[in-house]
Amino acid sequence: MKNKLAQLFLMTQKINRQHIQLTFAILTLMLLVLGAGAPESGGDASR
Amino acid sequence: MILLLAILAGLLVGLVRARLRGRSYGVPPLRFLWLALIAFLPQFFAFYLPVTRDSMPDAWAAASLIISQVLLLAFAWLNRKLAGMPLLACGLALNLVVITANGGFMPISPETAAHLAPAFAALQPGSRFGTKDILLPPENTRLAWLADRFLLPDWSPYNVAFSLGDMLIAVGVFWLLATQETPLNLPKP
Repeated sequence: MKNKLAQLFLMTQKINRQHIQLTFAILTLMLLVLGAGAPESGGDASR
Repeated sequence: MILLLAILAGLLVGLVRARLRGRSYGVPPLRFLWLALIAFLPQFFAFYLPVTRDSMPDAWAAASLIISQVLLLAFAWLNRKLAGMPLLACGLALNLVVITANGGFMPISPETAAHLAPAFAALQPGSRFGTKDILLPPENTRLAWLADRFLLPDWSPYNVAFSLGDMLIAVGVFWLLATQETPLNLPKP
């Protein structure tokens, strides 16, 4: 258990500022392409 | 979904490319991230959140899409110096033009819709179709060449109709993510 906690701690230490910035950039690009694009995969022809 | 695949592919290529060149992957220096979030909100309420989507009149949904895309275009313009972003902005502009010219939704022909699912061909012209589309025959479509008219090959497991603008958006975001890397740190003389 202690070993696992230590591993988890080490992993969180590796998450640095750059990883967080990259995550925000990717999320922003996801919003951008979802909002900008209009491909249609069939889905529901509901209305 | 097809556009999210472009993001994933661009990210993977960028990571591999940076690794092969002995550099670390750089974060795309996007500015005004808050603007993209605000710009997406009208579409979130109009097309994705079930509570508001089901009760929103079509005219409001159309207006939401146009307002949202104008704001997203502003975001792309503010970041136009990044690789791939001009292409993405062009794609967005093409989609915005054809959507605005056809009453606020992306037109799709009954023939193209029938390729996605044969049952959809029986829908009345002018019906809302899927998320952002409207079923319109080509003769009643303005700028039909910018509509959702392209299909993936038959052997593809994923069935989707997309526009020229969507293609430019996919290439632009792929290019943006595939070319990010930190500059090489040269030793100081």
